[in-house]
Amino acid sequence: MKQIRNTIRRTLLVAGSLALGSALMGLPAVSSARTLDEIVASKKLVIGVNPTLPPLGIFNDKNEIDGFDVDIARKLGELLGVKTEIVQVGSPDRIPFVSSGKIDAVLGAMTITAERQKVIDFTVPLHTEVLGVLTTKAKPYKDWMELNDPAVRLVEVRGATPVKLVQEKLPKAQLLLLDNYPDAVRAIAQGRADAMIDVMDFMTEHTAKHKVDWRIVDAPIEVYFCGIGVQKGNDALREKLSAAVKEMHKSGYVDERWKKWFGGPMLHDPRTAPTYK
Amino acid sequence: MQFDYSPVLERMPYLIGGAWLSLQIAFLAFAFGMLLGLGGASVRAYGPRWARRVVGVYVVFFTNTPQLVQIFFIFFALPDAGILLSPYQAVLIGMTLNAGAYLTEIQRAGFESVRLPELEAAETLGFSRIQTIRYVILPHIVRVLFPPLSNQYILMTLGTSMAAVFGVEELTGRAYNINSETFRSIEVFSVAAVLYIVITLIATLSLAFVGKRFFRAKMRWF
Repeated sequence: MKQIRNTIRRTLLVAGSLALGSALMGLPAVSSARTLDEIVASKKLVIGVNPTLPPLGIFNDKNEIDGFDVDIARKLGELLGVKTEIVQVGSPDRIPFVSSGKIDAVLGAMTITAERQKVIDFTVPLHTEVLGVLTTKAKPYKDWMELNDPAVRLVEVRGATPVKLVQEKLPKAQLLLLDNYPDAVRAIAQGRADAMIDVMDFMTEHTAKHKVDWRIVDAPIEVYFCGIGVQKGNDALREKLSAAVKEMHKSGYVDERWKKWFGGPMLHDPRTAPTYK
Repeated sequence: MQFDYSPVLERMPYLIGGAWLSLQIAFLAFAFGMLLGLGGASVRAYGPRWARRVVGVYVVFFTNTPQLVQIFFIFFALPDAGILLSPYQAVLIGMTLNAGAYLTEIQRAGFESVRLPELEAAETLGFSRIQTIRYVILPHIVRVLFPPLSNQYILMTLGTSMAAVFGVEELTGRAYNINSETFRSIEVFSVAAVLYIVITLIATLSLAFVGKRFFRAKMRWF
């Protein structure tokens, strides 16, 4: 008797989960994002910030998300006349959050790439990231290709993206791999290495800790333009946010916040982008 | 979960090169550490009081701080005092100093196991202090100390993995590099683990051979 009851219960459970599963599968995977009118009417702008990219997004002493992106997000709300709600996103899920309409817009080093533009739309560039050469005034390098020399000692962070670039394009240089940015920057400060290739904007935090005449090679290797991502086709919102970004550039707000969080000026002007209209 | 060992197997020569470097570092650090330890133990057993104190401080310092911290200090703090060592040199010196402290203690225990009548016999025969150490004490203690020394050597072979932190591309460093290219973590580190077993076995077997052949030392393992 007990056995039969158990069998029935199990069958019902399986049937129930199957039904629930198919119901969920049947739901539309992509819901429409809120339009500009809906956002204004709700008096709330929901923006995703990635707290794993300090100082763009960082957890402060109170364990709240803070940083450059948060300042920008709050200002965007202010310019739109609504409140800003910050939602935590991560690198792998930040684009699905926007494309599924869970958030209105996303910040967090959103480099504008052709691949991403197939899935989401971007505002005009908010900031740039410069992949460049960090070295000291004592070293003569004028261009990064000069580093392809057996006498040059490069230091890189193990597992960081530029390692591959260095191995492919600068195979002659000596390469020291260390585990983190503070150690790598210190290696140059102490004269253990001559130069390092990485996103220069993220270096100021480390270089400021050493009394060394730092120098960034004038000719950058690459400049990445980063914008704000919105759902594909949400044109009214995108245009409004673009206008707000331009306003923030014009008033000097972006520069000022960047200096505050990064400890130095932005290395490349985002307004030089061909898409900045 | 599907395993794919091909990206790791393609890079086997690179990994084996790293294993060879690990063995090399362990061997050199052990050899220098043995000399240092022999000196330290001699001083601690027979030296003047002040010298015993100095060696004592050295031993306490190096056996009560982590090896990683010691090498970190040599690698990153000494340059501020104008001493810039290459990663390989820093690791080798750090491991030697660390091994020297442990080996001082191990060898001192061996010295103390030498019985007084043996020393008296040497004195009666007119041996100098150096001769006594060379012909009486050393042969005696080597036999007693062979097993603990072998253990220390195996530990040091495994301890070379921390060299990766300082940019020495030994076995662990190379495993990290392959992992950051292929993201095949389980495969990379399981192969690295097997290679570590292989190199420690090589070390154990050669030590057992040396011990049996030259010192009639008995070793039990497994």
